[in-house]
Amino acid sequence: MSVDEDQPESAEQQTDPLGDPYLRTRFILPSRPVTFLARPRLTRRLDHSPPTPLTMVNGAAGAGKTLLLADWAAGRAQPVAWLTMEAEEKRPGMFWAHFLHALRTSGRHLSDRIEDPADAHHVDRRLLSAIAEDLATADPPVTVVLDEYERVTEPDIAEQLEFVLQHAGRGLRLILVTRTEPLLSLHRYRAAGELTEIRAAELAFTPEETVALLRLHGLRLSVQAARALVDRTRGWAAGLRLCALAAQESQDPEVYLKEFEADRSTIADFLLAEVLKRQPEDTQDLLLRISVLDRFNPDLANTLTGRADSARILADLHRENAFVEQLGHSWYRLHPLFGEILRAHLSVRRPGLEPELHRRAARWLRQTGSLPEALAHGAAAGDWDFTAAALVDDLAIGRFFTGLRSDDLAGLFSRMGPETTSPATELVRAARDLSHGDFRHGTVHLRQARARLDGVTGDPAAARLSCALLEALAARLTGSPTRAELAAESADEVRQDVAPDLLLKHPELPALLLTHLGSTRLWAGRFEEARAALAKAADAPDSASTVLARKESLGHLALIDYLDGWLGRAEHKALEAVAEAERFDPSPPAGSAIEQVVLAGVAVDRNELGRAKTLLDEAAEHSATPHDPVTAAGRAIVTARLQLARGDARAAVEAADPDVFAVVASPWAESHERLVTSAARLAEGRAGEAAEILRKLGDDQPSCTTEAARIQCAVGNVDEAIDLLDSVPADGRTGPAVTVRATLVKAMAADAAGDTATARRLVAQALLDARRERLRRPFLDAGRWIRPLLVTAPLDRLAAGWLTAGHPACEDPAGPGTPPAPIVVEELSARERDVLRRLAQMMSTQEIAADMYVSVNTVKTHLKSLYRKLAVNRRGAAVRRARDMGLL
Amino acid sequence: MRYEIRVDGHMSETLAKAFPELDHVVMSGQTVLYGSVIDEAQLFGLLARCQSLGLHVLEMRQVPE
Repeated sequence: MSVDEDQPESAEQQTDPLGDPYLRTRFILPSRPVTFLARPRLTRRLDHSPPTPLTMVNGAAGAGKTLLLADWAAGRAQPVAWLTMEAEEKRPGMFWAHFLHALRTSGRHLSDRIEDPADAHHVDRRLLSAIAEDLATADPPVTVVLDEYERVTEPDIAEQLEFVLQHAGRGLRLILVTRTEPLLSLHRYRAAGELTEIRAAELAFTPEETVALLRLHGLRLSVQAARALVDRTRGWAAGLRLCALAAQESQDPEVYLKEFEADRSTIADFLLAEVLKRQPEDTQDLLLRISVLDRFNPDLANTLTGRADSARILADLHRENAFVEQLGHSWYRLHPLFGEILRAHLSVRRPGLEPELHRRAARWLRQTGSLPEALAHGAAAGDWDFTAAALVDDLAIGRFFTGLRSDDLAGLFSRMGPETTSPATELVRAARDLSHGDFRHGTVHLRQARARLDGVTGDPAAARLSCALLEALAARLTGSPTRAELAAESADEVRQDVAPDLLLKHPELPALLLTHLGSTRLWAGRFEEARAALAKAADAPDSASTVLARKESLGHLALIDYLDGWLGRAEHKALEAVAEAERFDPSPPAGSAIEQVVLAGVAVDRNELGRAKTLLDEAAEHSATPHDPVTAAGRAIVTARLQLARGDARAAVEAADPDVFAVVASPWAESHERLVTSAARLAEGRAGEAAEILRKLGDDQPSCTTEAARIQCAVGNVDEAIDLLDSVPADGRTGPAVTVRATLVKAMAADAAGDTATARRLVAQALLDARRERLRRPFLDAGRWIRPLLVTAPLDRLAAGWLTAGHPACEDPAGPGTPPAPIVVEELSARERDVLRRLAQMMSTQEIAADMYVSVNTVKTHLKSLYRKLAVNRRGAAVRRARDMGLL
Repeated sequence: MRYEIRVDGHMSETLAKAFPELDHVVMSGQTVLYGSVIDEAQLFGLLARCQSLGLHVLEMRQVPE
């Protein structure tokens, strides 16, 4: 809505967390009509000194709450921060952004530590502390009035307000103006004498005040007669006001007031009809028509009436204090109470006109640049062609995916039936379906939109760009690289035809498009091209609307690093993505949770299996798009590797299948699936099958080739393993998780050939490369041959502290002659220690079983894993090694 | 769930249109709005609508089907 130029704007932040400008009219004191009656008995209550931290003015609609507060605030030397609540503030982030804007508008300079919440749904506890801390120093105290607080129904906000109120101490005076009891723990404030309450009984007009009010309207009435009127209206301000207006217009006001007393109609209903019918025809018409609007100025009112005299009529109505309130400058609103009743009159007296009024309002609002309101009225009119076109032409289709207005938009268009078929409505349907991952229906609607776009008149650039974005998303969800490239090309072509200010306003659109393009390229195995697109997306301007795109693209970049074997880099990027996500609400759509999958993969390589499991579970829980091929493939690989590490070959094979539809198969995803199956067969001792599976391997990703070489080497095909390793280009692309494995395969080959010196040198190199990344898994997967090497100097020192138990490399005073520190790659369990102690007492298996109250088989199981962990194969050796390691 | 809401005063036919989902009957200085209510949310919505229309709610109760 329009921003007036003639008021100083002290607030720095001009848009709310949803990217819309703050509505000026909500931050200024409502003006009081000429016939307003000041009521000192009530303002004195507000002036009570010292003021209580919390004040609540609680009364029915039309009880005169707002004007009382406006009158009181206007008479104060200190400016009062004023905020009229709207339904938007049911989201904590929006509420606090508006709260801060109100403070700034009142002239309060807030400390630099206070940053406006970037996320509409969520607010950080640190921000609340900072606000409280800042206000605590305020002297004189800051007064904040929250009008129409009944619209805040969110318990979180009430709790947050109490937190700030409590910690701001005497620096904040909060005044809630509300129709309903707020969710604050009022009894506590009441008991502590920290609450001023002005409720319905006090707000009610006294007979004396009624006489004074009527006099302002030029009516004379005895206190006696006024008492009867007060009884009839219960002292209700709106009722008295209407009464005065109706009486003014009647032949004999005294008689009128008497008759009213006797009537049994509901007051507001009756009086409003009375006052309305006494207005000139054109005024009645205007009042009925504007009842569909929350706010209006004369121009908008003219649009609804089709006349040109709204400015005069509105000024008259305001002067008479009838129906309309002035919001400042040329904006008005209907008194909420009368608005509701007038709408009922509208539907009776002008049946069928309401949609047309909404339609006109929507077009006016669209032209003046207020998209959310234009959309709301367009939807209320059921004019879906217009509403969808407004969204598409504003380039706002990306908002379906950013999490900012996704729910609002989905709700708005939920009533759209299948009958409209304009390109814009088809695009909206496609966006709605794709945002749920429903690419089948989404694709159908996209195709229809594209076909109709060619026949469109006017400027279809925005529609074409929107179409390209949705195409790119559909391509990503269906794993079709050609389609994604085509979408990106058509976006490039059409971009220059789109108004530059629109593009500036919607940085999320190119960022999302690049993310989808990058994801699809990644799926196709074109890592470098994927990286280029994703890096650009991750670099998108820092705004709330691009958070999701940045998080997603960082997550994808992390996955590329992980697949290339750069654990540290992958972890770093994934954590960056998590940090982006944390600034943002985790409610849908939170994206694909791909960064969690990467973190889990890193954990598996470091042999932190419990952590990996937790991360994978979290990823499954957080993922908002069930059908995203890259994420599904990443999860399949990491889960399978985790199961292999745990020794569950069957579960690994099961998990390795990403089970996702894709037009084009992903080379790396397929290869990894095969490799897991092969490794599982190897673990089950089916070496022949393991080697057979490798023959079908097609991909040339270094990580796949290296793993294939390891399996070949393990099944005894040493030459083939070396050939495979030689085929990996030494271009520096691969990181330690791949190179260390490659080195270990070479070491294994050397060891098998009896060349222990070379094997030792290679293992030393692998240890050096792996140490910084805490890359443990390759050594644990290497096989038995490596154990004797790891316990001999100098390798034992390279492994100590991170791979094996013991202290990290300190100078060994005894020199190379000392017996090597054996490795324990896994801690012994408590039961295994129990068995070990009894073993050292020369007890037999049967004796141990009897002593521990377990079966012989259980003891045998413990012995087996004990031998494995200690890298021995006899009980005597186990006891000796345990003694060496200080385990006994 | 069937409910009836009793408000003070005679509601005009026009105002009654503000409750299209309910029937109403006027009797002895009161208006009774009645009909089926889907859930609690709708119930509170109706109460809020009464408030925003300036109606005095005298009684609200569930009635047998």
